[in-house]
Amino acid sequence: MAKIIEESKSKGKRLVYVPEELVDEALNIARGRGETISKFVEEAVQLAIQACGTGLSLEKAAEVLKVLQAHRVLGGAFIPQGALEFMIESVYKSSREELLKRWHEDGRLYGRYLRERFVDPVEAIKCFLEVTRWDLNEVYALKEGEDIKLGCVSTTLSLEATELLCSFLEGILRGLGCTIKSLECLKGMIIVSFKL
Amino acid sequence: MKTFKPYMTILRIVGGGLLVRTVKGKEVKRKTFVARADLIDQLGKVAETKGYSLYALVNEIFELVLKAEELGLDLRRIFEERGVLEKAKSAGFILGLESLWYSMTDLVYEKAKNRVLKEWAEAGLWLAKRYATSCSTDPIEDLKRDLRAFIWNASQFIIEVEGEGISVRILSPRFSEGYSFLLAALLEGLLNGLGFEVVEREVFRGNIRLEGIRNRR
Repeated sequence: MAKIIEESKSKGKRLVYVPEELVDEALNIARGRGETISKFVEEAVQLAIQACGTGLSLEKAAEVLKVLQAHRVLGGAFIPQGALEFMIESVYKSSREELLKRWHEDGRLYGRYLRERFVDPVEAIKCFLEVTRWDLNEVYALKEGEDIKLGCVSTTLSLEATELLCSFLEGILRGLGCTIKSLECLKGMIIVSFKL
Repeated sequence: MKTFKPYMTILRIVGGGLLVRTVKGKEVKRKTFVARADLIDQLGKVAETKGYSLYALVNEIFELVLKAEELGLDLRRIFEERGVLEKAKSAGFILGLESLWYSMTDLVYEKAKNRVLKEWAEAGLWLAKRYATSCSTDPIEDLKRDLRAFIWNASQFIIEVEGEGISVRILSPRFSEGYSFLLAALLEGLLNGLGFEVVEREVFRGNIRLEGIRNRR
């Protein structure tokens, strides 16, 4: 054994011990992919080093991936946040009703998609808000008996932007087929209570 | 914090790299594998900062990869997608449904054309300055790579630098008219911020073509 370690070190390799059952499973996956175990292990280690920096659990990572996939399917786009705020501010007064309707309709489409694709749509909405709306400081979903209370808090959102987001959220919930019990919208804060 | 369990007993070599350890009387067979030294060294550092033993960390990695496989997840894709989101966030971009953005941009473009064009151009200038003042050795290359990721809704996205010139060509049949002109304004602001002057532009719905030359002033 000592000889093997020495030889490996000279080629820039290290020997690492892992439980046999894990190695066997990894071997099966590598075979299934048509890869060598070494390649599989190297990739796993590289990914793990990356993973350590993100602090994401696998379940959360899976949700993030699905939310992004939803954006790819429904047509997602990035726009500069400052420009968006400017646009809202510029036309909100003159086109408030039109904008609210538009955000609501797009929210409904999104909600309809979430209903089809996600097992837990409430968790999906929460994840969607956390992943895409980084202008929100806090997003929470609480169960209160049969109802669910969803809240969003932001210290930077204007009243106009909050109202549009609120309309979008309302659309999502309608698209999911939820019954909205109450809805509060203040500058930088949305609290909606609904039943699935 | 995960640490090496103190009650684990000394290893004994069974042969062929197969090791057996006893955990509270239960035998746990272990195998060895060979990996690149630089990776293992890096892992060692990660383990140290996290207060793990290398053994515990390596086992966790295996478990993570196997679990991802079980869930049908491509870990590499997760990191790539997450990377796009993180970069977009730090570059000041927000993700939303493109249909919503298109209707917004069309509405604003119609009602406050000059002001909104100026706003998007300034956003481009800000973005260019952000990259130009970063520690990157090649900010244009970084910007190209990130923009390609952010403008994922384009069917063609080309930025080419040749000598003193730069060429930007973006095509998407999905872009609305307002969005096309505003994105062009953003890119023009971006080129100005990188030290180029736009000498030729061709913009219409779904098409953006900008040609610039390095500003020597």
